[in-house]
Amino acid sequence: MSPVADQPPIRLLILDDEPIVCKRLKPTFQKLGYDVETFTDSASALARLRQQPFDIVITDLKMEGADGMQVLAGVKEVSPATRVIVITGFATMETARESYRKGAFDFIAKPFKLGDLVECVQRVEKTLQTDRRTPPERQP
Amino acid sequence: MNAPDSPSGVRKWWPPHFGFGRKGRRDTAEIDIWRLQSLFNNFRRILFLNNAVLEDMDHLERVLGGEYIFDRAFLEASVRTISSRVHHVSYNLNALTGNGYISLYDRYQAIRTKLDDILAGNASTLAPAAVLPLEALGWELEPLVGTSLVCLAELRHQPAMPVAQGFVVTTAGTEALSGTGEAPAATEATRFPAAAVMASIEEMFTTMCGQDAGTAFTAVVIHLVNEEEQAGLRQEYALTPEPGGSRVVIAARRRPGRHPLPPLSDAAPALTAPIAAASPADGLVRLITALAARRPGQTSDPAGQSAIFVRRALPAALRGSVRSRAGGTEPFDTLAITAETAADDDLGDSYLLRRIYPFDLIRSTIAQRPAGFQFLRGKVATSADETDGALARGSALIQNEMLKRLAGTTVAVERLFGGPVAVQWECGSDGSCLLTDLAPLQIDLEEVDDDALHREQRQAVVLCRGGQMVQSGIAAGRVVHVTDDLLPADFPAGAVAVARYASPQLTPILQRAAAVVTEFGTTIGHLATVARELRVPALFGIPDALVTLAAGAEVTVDASEATVFQGLLRLSLLRGVKESDLSPAAPEYRILRRLLRFILPLHLIDPDSPTFAPQGCRTYHDIIHFCHEKAVDELAHFQERRPELGAIRTRRLRLEVPMDIRVLDIGGGLAATVAGDPGCDEVQSLPFRSFLDGLRHPKAWELELPSLGLRDILSGMTHEMSNLYGGTVNLAENLAIVSHDYMNVSLRLGYHFNVIDSHLGVDEARNHVYFRFVGGLADPERRGRRVEFISEVLAAMDFKVTVKSDLVIGRLKLIPADIVLATLFTLGALTTVAKQRDTCLYSDADTRALLTAFAATFLGPAAPVRGPTAGRQGPSPEGAATGQGGISPFILDRDQ
Repeated sequence: MSPVADQPPIRLLILDDEPIVCKRLKPTFQKLGYDVETFTDSASALARLRQQPFDIVITDLKMEGADGMQVLAGVKEVSPATRVIVITGFATMETARESYRKGAFDFIAKPFKLGDLVECVQRVEKTLQTDRRTPPERQP
Repeated sequence: MNAPDSPSGVRKWWPPHFGFGRKGRRDTAEIDIWRLQSLFNNFRRILFLNNAVLEDMDHLERVLGGEYIFDRAFLEASVRTISSRVHHVSYNLNALTGNGYISLYDRYQAIRTKLDDILAGNASTLAPAAVLPLEALGWELEPLVGTSLVCLAELRHQPAMPVAQGFVVTTAGTEALSGTGEAPAATEATRFPAAAVMASIEEMFTTMCGQDAGTAFTAVVIHLVNEEEQAGLRQEYALTPEPGGSRVVIAARRRPGRHPLPPLSDAAPALTAPIAAASPADGLVRLITALAARRPGQTSDPAGQSAIFVRRALPAALRGSVRSRAGGTEPFDTLAITAETAADDDLGDSYLLRRIYPFDLIRSTIAQRPAGFQFLRGKVATSADETDGALARGSALIQNEMLKRLAGTTVAVERLFGGPVAVQWECGSDGSCLLTDLAPLQIDLEEVDDDALHREQRQAVVLCRGGQMVQSGIAAGRVVHVTDDLLPADFPAGAVAVARYASPQLTPILQRAAAVVTEFGTTIGHLATVARELRVPALFGIPDALVTLAAGAEVTVDASEATVFQGLLRLSLLRGVKESDLSPAAPEYRILRRLLRFILPLHLIDPDSPTFAPQGCRTYHDIIHFCHEKAVDELAHFQERRPELGAIRTRRLRLEVPMDIRVLDIGGGLAATVAGDPGCDEVQSLPFRSFLDGLRHPKAWELELPSLGLRDILSGMTHEMSNLYGGTVNLAENLAIVSHDYMNVSLRLGYHFNVIDSHLGVDEARNHVYFRFVGGLADPERRGRRVEFISEVLAAMDFKVTVKSDLVIGRLKLIPADIVLATLFTLGALTTVAKQRDTCLYSDADTRALLTAFAATFLGPAAPVRGPTAGRQGPSPEGAATGQGGISPFILDRDQ
């Protein structure tokens, strides 16, 4: 599934302090039709999120400066509708639980298959489309 | 109560808890079985950890193949995890053997230090020496010699073109010699003193040039590593001996070819004036020192570090270069080859070929030769009107076959390198050709529009899709079906190999293929490893690939998308490696590749070799393999090596055949309700039960025998045993140590000593069957025939068989549970049949008769099945385990 042609492209922000992750994810999602921006430091990413809302944020958990949990909280503060996918190499039940509690859409442990993340993003996209079709007053 | 006191006279609190002080009531059997269980727990732990490490290794390999998105943190965590497991395997083996292999810890620590150094970016400790033969280079040395030289060394695995022989002075060596470095160089100087480096260089010159060391013409190529190396900058010097051999002159040498590899940049300016030296080694050292002096203060700068490739420069009749991408205005799928005579560049040719098998020649520009011009192999150009099969003045310098070899090799190098490359080659007058150098090619390729690329893939005809991506990447070519009768040498380099199984036999073909697709196969296994090593796009497990991919069809294999398209997908191929793919240029890829060099390779293969020792362990794989072999060996011999464990309480097994076996249950091997001596129905150990079914099988007892009756022999066995062992029951009796998933059976029937050790679980990576047979009082000829008989039967079951005099050892590993059961069933029958052979095998004909009879009864129907899975289709494990018609399925080789 890729973004619907007559709608504006889904805006995707990818934040990971390891450049190789951004480097490999960006072309994949661009090819699928998403509007992608990547960041390797959380301060810049948070600043950008305050300037411009994104539909989906994919963020690493353990980073210098603001970590993924803080980014998650920051995103939800400025844009509650933004879906956040947490990716981490330090996956534990506790961090997963905390991520969900703070409003993460999904939690994926590194290393992961590209297809798994694409599938996750496409699931997010489905929920976004459902939200867009649903009149605001009917939203839960 | 007589509890032991401490020297201070203080009474210890623990003796009552462990039975001390209860004089006359110490239960040695309980203590012994506790120790025995500890022994087996260590063994099980080794099996478990071995399996975990193998899984870790498989996972890391798949990550290298591009299947996963990962980061540096993952690499660090992986090294921690796998190291911990390997350390524990070493510990458990030492616990099992009474600290029999303490030196394993040293080997573990040495490897762990290397892995940590790689992660920390400390490359200097990786080099075993400052000067190395080219063929000794591997990916782990990449930071010390540069990617190009490692690629050149790796080409030894490519059968198409040989590579110039020579040696390499690593950055550690050049820094030690130049002595201008600061802290890092000082470390190198300590590790590799300049005098030692100098001595190594002299030794290498002698090895390379033999007695001609003082007079041979030598080419020296300066490679800058790291950043500069990526720009493909080179500088070449010639070490030319002066007449009389009294001294050597070093001078810059113009790189051959009309499109030579680019010269060094200002970062390392070339020497303009020649240098004179007393010997080639002295000359090389002077050159290194002079170059270092021209760029003071840069030795600690990665951009300024240089490695030096020295090769003997034999007289070349032809030389030239290949660019893996023609570039410029040429079509995207072309490569360019130049050739020129050593004497005159103006007589050079250029050729444009397709990059895809069969590398068709698209265009050539041929210079006109003067009359009498000498081609290779002494052929002389005739005038243009006398062509009649001979070479004419307008003939090409190199023939079509050579062009294709160059093209195929260059495309393989490009894949290995991870980007466009330029390759240099030379030919002697006898026609022998060598690759002499390679470098990354800076080339501007046509931009590929994402939308257009997406459109191209959407519109393309998909021939097949699915399977498992083993190595990412995209490649195109004509399909060649790999059949049993296809010789690897006949596989056309650059074609797409399509085969039924991902069998290790495909390895030489993989070295020539552009891509590989198989109908069956998994991401684990030798072929998958080779595909990743060579970076050949590989898809395993595509149903009916041999049908959907017709021989001769031109296809594009996009392994990353697990798809094979019809025809050539121009844009996809033009883009080549996707940005989303894991590129060899990525630092994380390089680190992982280096790490795996100290984790994956298995050097210790033969347990009977003298080098099969802790000192021979060079990788984690070596360590766990060593531990596994030694653990199995320890258990197979534990009764001899641990006599203190002999006085254990065992139970006599009630058998309906004249055989006496005592059983020791160490956990779930017998029904919990058994009060007295157990019967066969109360045996719950799956492997032992299957073995007993074979041992008791009526056909094993009724087998037609050439001479004496089996029953006569066996009836006297127990009596014979007590005579032999003087009535001691512990070591003389047949003993089976069993648990639910394990058996260790020691049989001393008649004159033979037989051990069968087996673990059986759902995870085939942990399963094994070990068989050992020795002894017999017959004359040597008859013993030899018995050994032949047993060996043949074991080989038919795919055992790895070793024979030493009367001793037969068979090992079978990594096998599914049903095969373990079928194997044990057959070994049970073999045990019954083999005991009496001393008295029956009077001639080779007897051996053949027995083998035929046994094969007909226990090695299954003569179905034409061989190979890795041969014979593994036999009776259901249930049948074998219950003895209900459970005849083993294995087939003898010679019956095929």
